[in-house]
Amino acid sequence: MSVLDRIAERQLVVVTGKGGVGKTTLTAVLGRLLADRGKRVLLLEVDPRESLHQALGTEPSGGGIVQAGPGLSIQNLQPDAVIEGLVREKVPIPYLARKITESVAFHQFVEGAPGLKETALLGHAYRVLHGGHRPRTDLVIVDAPATGHSATMLAAPGLLAQAAEGGQLGAMASDLAAFLADASRCGVVLATLAEEMPIQETLELIALLRAKLGIRPDLIVANGMYPPLPPGAAQDPGRSLWRARRRLNEAELARLSASWDGSLLELPLLPLDRGPALVNALASLLKRAEP
Amino acid sequence: MSGALLTGRLIVVVGAGGVGKTTLAAALALGSAKEGRRTLVMTFDPSLRLKDALGVAEAAKDEPIRVMEDGPGFLDAALLDAKHTFDRLIRTYAPDPAAAKRIFSNRFYRDMAGNLSGILEYMAMERLFEMQASGRYDCIILDTPPTRQAMDFLQAPDRMMNLVDSKAIRFAMDPWWDDAGRKNLAFRIAVKGAMELSDRIIGRRFLLDVVEFIRAFAPLFDGFRSRAEEVRNLLQADETRFLLVAGPGPDRVPDAMFFLRKLKETGHHLGPILVNQVHPDPGPVAKNDEGLTLLRFLAGRDQRGLALLRSLFPGERKIIPIALEPVPPADLRTLALLFDKLSTTTSI
Repeated sequence: MSVLDRIAERQLVVVTGKGGVGKTTLTAVLGRLLADRGKRVLLLEVDPRESLHQALGTEPSGGGIVQAGPGLSIQNLQPDAVIEGLVREKVPIPYLARKITESVAFHQFVEGAPGLKETALLGHAYRVLHGGHRPRTDLVIVDAPATGHSATMLAAPGLLAQAAEGGQLGAMASDLAAFLADASRCGVVLATLAEEMPIQETLELIALLRAKLGIRPDLIVANGMYPPLPPGAAQDPGRSLWRARRRLNEAELARLSASWDGSLLELPLLPLDRGPALVNALASLLKRAEP
Repeated sequence: MSGALLTGRLIVVVGAGGVGKTTLAAALALGSAKEGRRTLVMTFDPSLRLKDALGVAEAAKDEPIRVMEDGPGFLDAALLDAKHTFDRLIRTYAPDPAAAKRIFSNRFYRDMAGNLSGILEYMAMERLFEMQASGRYDCIILDTPPTRQAMDFLQAPDRMMNLVDSKAIRFAMDPWWDDAGRKNLAFRIAVKGAMELSDRIIGRRFLLDVVEFIRAFAPLFDGFRSRAEEVRNLLQADETRFLLVAGPGPDRVPDAMFFLRKLKETGHHLGPILVNQVHPDPGPVAKNDEGLTLLRFLAGRDQRGLALLRSLFPGERKIIPIALEPVPPADLRTLALLFDKLSTTTSI
C-alpha cells in the first residue's frame, strides 16, 4: 500500500509544520490528489488571513464552504465563531444565548480555557464527518495553524477532557481525543523545508508527537527543494548559489533521514506563482514521487 | 554605518514565521556589541545551531549568558521560556512562600499555565521589562515569538490589565461557592442560573480549579497590572523601534501588510522594513538551462514582491532587500559577515 493509498483511507488528516514551509500549498495539493481519486474532500483553513482559496483559484471562503473542483471544497474557520455556534445550539433561547456570547466572562473563558479553541476546530471536523451532513464528506484535511508547537493542537482535546472532566464539554473533548488517537482514522502529514530550522523543528515535532500522543506521521513532505545541478555545470554566481542551496537541502534531508525511517517525499521549487497551476503541477509530481 | 538599523535602545524584530528573524536579530545584536554597545539579544527557543553559534545553553533561560566582549561593548543572550518565567515571577512576587506553594500546587496552573493563550507573549514582556529595568544594557534586541499571530505580544500587556480588571475575575473572587448565603437574593438567583448552566457544560471540578487558581493568584495581580502598564509604555516609547522582516516574493506581501497595519494601529514606531532571502539575478540564461531558468524566475518573483511593497508604501519608509545567503550563518564569524553586509546595504 502506497503512502497516498494509506492517507486516502483516513477520515481526518492534519497538515502541520513551521510557518512559511508551504503547509497551505501542500494541503491544497493533497486535497486535489485525493479528490482525483474519487474522495469527497473538505479542506479546513484556520488562519484568519485566508490563502487556501488563492492556491486553488476560488473565491475566499469567509466562513462558508466553497467548491474548488469536483469532490473538493474549502472552508475557512474561526474558532470563536464555532464556539459561539455551539453555545447557540446548547442554549435554545436566543436571548440567553446572545447574553452569554456577548459577555466579557464568556470571551475570557474562550481565550483562557486550555485547548478550547483547538478542540472546537477539530470538533467541527468531526461533526462534518459524523454529524449526518449532506453532501457527505469522506475526508477532512486541516491546514493547522503555525502557532507555537503544532502538537498543541492535537493534544488539545485530551488536555481539555482532563481539565473539564465531568461536564458535557469534557465528555465531548474525550470523544474527540479518542477519535484523534485512532490511527486507522486520523493521520498527520508534516510539511517542511530542507533547511536547518525547519528540519530541526520537524525532528522535535516527530519526537513530541510520539512521546505525548503516540502518533507517528503518515508522511513528511520536503517542499521547495532546489533541483540537482546538471553535471559539468559552469562556474558563475547564479550557479554557485544554486549549488550551495542544493548541498544544504541534501545535507538537511540526510539529517532528517538519519532519524526518520517513515515516508518522505520531496517537492521541487517550480517557476510558478502560488495558484492552481502550481498546485496541479505539484500534485502530479507528488503522485510520481511515490515509490 | 548601521545607523538606520540600530537606532533605539530597544529593537523589536517582528515578522511571519520562517523569514529569518532569529538570524537577523542575532547578527544585529552582534554588530551592536562590536560597535561598543552593551547589548542583549532575547530570543525564543532558537534552533540548536544558532544556540551553538551564540554559545548559549539551557542556562540562558535563567540568566543572560555572555556571548562575546569587544572593548566597552559586549553581547549577552537570553532564552525565553514562558513556564520558566511564570514560575520565577511567582517565586519573586508572591507575598510569602505559602502563597507561591498554593499556586504551584494548583492543578489548573500545573497543567495549563504554559498553554494559556497570550501567556508566552506576556511572559516575554515581563522578562523584557526586567532586563530593561536592570540598566545593564544600552541596546536590547527582542526576537519575537515564532507565531503568525506574533503581534499578540503587543496586546499582551493590555490583555493582562483587562483580565485583572475584568468582571469575570471579580466574580470569581466573590465567595459564591462557599458562603453564597450572605449574598442578596436577586444576585443569588441570577448567579445560580449562570452557574448551573456552566456547571453542566464545563464541569464543576474545572470551575473550582480555575477559581482556586485565581484566588491564589490574586495577591500578585496589582504587581502584574502595574508592570503591564510600564511594558506598554516601553513598547510605545520613542527609543523603541520595530524592525519588520518580510519574506521575499508577492506571496509574502500580505503577511508584511498585516504586521504593518497592526503596528500603525497600535501607534508603535516602525523602523526600516527588511525583505530577507531575496534571490539575486543569475545573469543571462541559455534557453535550455532549466536550473538557471528557475533561478531567474525566483529573482524576478522576489523583485516583483519588492516592487509591490514599494508601491504600497511609496517613499514612506526604507525597504531594504537582503540577498539570500548561499549558506546560512551558523557561528559568530558568519553572523558578523552578515552584519557587515547589512551595514553596507543600508548605507546606500
